[in-house]
Amino acid sequence: MLVLSAAGAVVLLTSALPLARLLTEIPGAGAAALSVLSAFRPWLLLIRSLMLAAAVTACAIAIGVPLGLLIARTDLPGRRALWMVHAFPMFLPPFLLALGWFQLFGREGFLGGEVTARLLFSEVGLVAVLALTFSPVVTSMMALALLGMDASLEEAARVAARPWRVATRILLPAARPALGLAAILVFALSVSELGVPMFLRVDVFPAAVFARLGGIRYAPGEAFALVVPLMPVAIGLLFLERRLVGAGSFAVAGLRGMSRAPIPLGHWHPALAAVSWSIAVAGALPLGALALRGARGRGFGQLPQWIGLAPWTSLGTAVVAATVIVAVGLVLGHGVARRLRGASMLDALAVLAFVTPASVLGVGLIAVWNHPAMGGLYASVAILIVGYIARYAVVGIRAVASVVLQSPVHLEEAAAAAGARFWRRLTRIILPVNLRGVAAGLLLAMVFCLRDFETAVLYYPPGREPLPVRIFTLEANGPPPVVAALALSHVVLTAFVVAGGSLLVLRRRRA
Amino acid sequence: MSAAIGIEGVRIRYAGKLVIDELSLSIKPGEVLALLGPSGSGKTSVLRVILGFVTPETGTVRLDGEVASQEGRLLVLPEERGLAVVFQDLALWPHLSVAGNLAFGLNSRGVPRSERNARIRSILGRVGLTGKEHSHPGELSGGERQRVAIARALVLEPRAVLLDEPLSNLDVGLKRELLSIFRALLKERQTTALYVTHDLREAAALGDRIAVMEQGRVVQEGTLDSLRANPASSFVRTLLNDFSGAGTIDG
Repeated sequence: MLVLSAAGAVVLLTSALPLARLLTEIPGAGAAALSVLSAFRPWLLLIRSLMLAAAVTACAIAIGVPLGLLIARTDLPGRRALWMVHAFPMFLPPFLLALGWFQLFGREGFLGGEVTARLLFSEVGLVAVLALTFSPVVTSMMALALLGMDASLEEAARVAARPWRVATRILLPAARPALGLAAILVFALSVSELGVPMFLRVDVFPAAVFARLGGIRYAPGEAFALVVPLMPVAIGLLFLERRLVGAGSFAVAGLRGMSRAPIPLGHWHPALAAVSWSIAVAGALPLGALALRGARGRGFGQLPQWIGLAPWTSLGTAVVAATVIVAVGLVLGHGVARRLRGASMLDALAVLAFVTPASVLGVGLIAVWNHPAMGGLYASVAILIVGYIARYAVVGIRAVASVVLQSPVHLEEAAAAAGARFWRRLTRIILPVNLRGVAAGLLLAMVFCLRDFETAVLYYPPGREPLPVRIFTLEANGPPPVVAALALSHVVLTAFVVAGGSLLVLRRRRA
Repeated sequence: MSAAIGIEGVRIRYAGKLVIDELSLSIKPGEVLALLGPSGSGKTSVLRVILGFVTPETGTVRLDGEVASQEGRLLVLPEERGLAVVFQDLALWPHLSVAGNLAFGLNSRGVPRSERNARIRSILGRVGLTGKEHSHPGELSGGERQRVAIARALVLEPRAVLLDEPLSNLDVGLKRELLSIFRALLKERQTTALYVTHDLREAAALGDRIAVMEQGRVVQEGTLDSLRANPASSFVRTLLNDFSGAGTIDG
């Protein structure tokens, strides 16, 4: 109980306190709230943001569902490689990819001109960039759900129906909880997105909040007022998550391998392979453009002068935050899986902090921690760690919950009956038995922290900005080849973390 | 002398559905009680309420006379009950060796190292697993895993051992061999045991007494002979008739 309380306290302090604090700030900012919210423009902006997020979600589903099915259950050639190429961009800050698209289709891009630039710097460009960036979320969750599905479900249907009918009538409906979760995730990420719309000069609601905190229109009272309409959006997403997905969401994590006979694609084989690989390559194309721009303008040679401490700040804070996230996730994720009292409520708070637009959470974090008594913390990199834990605690909780649910409860009950108390069961049985899943959760949490831009940009300590923030701030005035090289250095850093982490997890699996 | 395990008027409900209804049972020290019933009759729920994994809505669970659970309250935690369990899936910890599996509970209960090692050596010898101390569960045969599971329970010298259909899904030969090991170990150590099964042949082979469960209630208790002589219901009669046709399992 003590351990559960300590983990709960971390979630309450980091995730819940900023949101609660915002509620108390709003009456104080009454006049500003009235003047801002009585205007027509913020509401128009909000509707526009929600519609753009809905469009991104719809496009991501349209790409991700068929691709997930093709990767998980068909004889598509090189589907593991396809999955890797397609999925990698989702580990990067989306504005990095927008930067790459700009190098390709901007006015002076490798393939660009007036028309392509106009298209890129518009709502259409925004939706296209974000849909390509976030569609791997749908693809991966669909693929994991399909791979984790009991083989007998499919085999029983294959006896009676053709493969296409099995796929559409059995596999896809059975993966609906995963699809629901993926859709909520993509919508939440799209609503939160700040870097891409600011870069592509598309006016969205989070940018209005940011402008009042970090821009020339500094007006924190108005920022507090502007987060008010976003809170029902977050609560609505939480409600949807609980209603549509609930415990079913855990079904996405059962990776049992591709041992079943794949569904043959027959004469559709070449066409579907071409389309799938085109989508995957298109998603990775901006990275090639960044590399080319960096190389051509000798940006890589100038990297040491510009990069500063940013990679170390990114890596260090991500390692510490991800470790805390997984430690908290181990306790609360286990609690959620085993339905311990209070764990579900804390999980809901963590989900709320994640689906809450990052600008709202960021404003809340500033309200709580930007206080003379907290001076040391707010002015240091510790605030970045607190922010990452606040926003991504749910990653640890859900990662652990999904693996614990798949391990027999009898292993823990046998340990309890043998006299082991909770801490001993946690460290000697639950952790070792679920080590691979916990390690995967650590890797995922680290990647989320590394790619974060929207939360950190609001409160990063001077001179200690993480790499995505450094790239974004340099993008406006820095030499384009250097910015491209910096962006590529972030890509390389993420690739090292993902590849190293995956190797460790897979080696553990074989052992 | 108080019962080693005593259940009085216990009621358990899952998601609004009554699974155990006003159930009372008593197991004397050193006695082996076989709890017999079809799937869904509530046998496993009885075992879980004794272990402390389920709290009874009403009624009392006593261990050696001490109240462990009562009226929706868990008064003694599972880890403090001094019991041991063998689950149907055995629940051997895959990351620990055979010796590690046996040592885990002894460590938890603060048994000194020298005594711990002696107990492990002795019980492994008794179940025929000498030399397998460093093997992991994944490296053992089905029968060897069953032996590890029973050894892991008995090495604790618990106040009672609870066995939840540990032999289901085994072939008759192996079942007979393991039943004979179980019986010998329980009797020589005078261990109190609750053996949950749906197979009357196993119940008859191991139980000093048999309690027959139907729909969350104990419908009859007694020795095999007393059940045969006076079956309390058509359900019990059907069970016994099936048994007469099938022959015994313990040879």
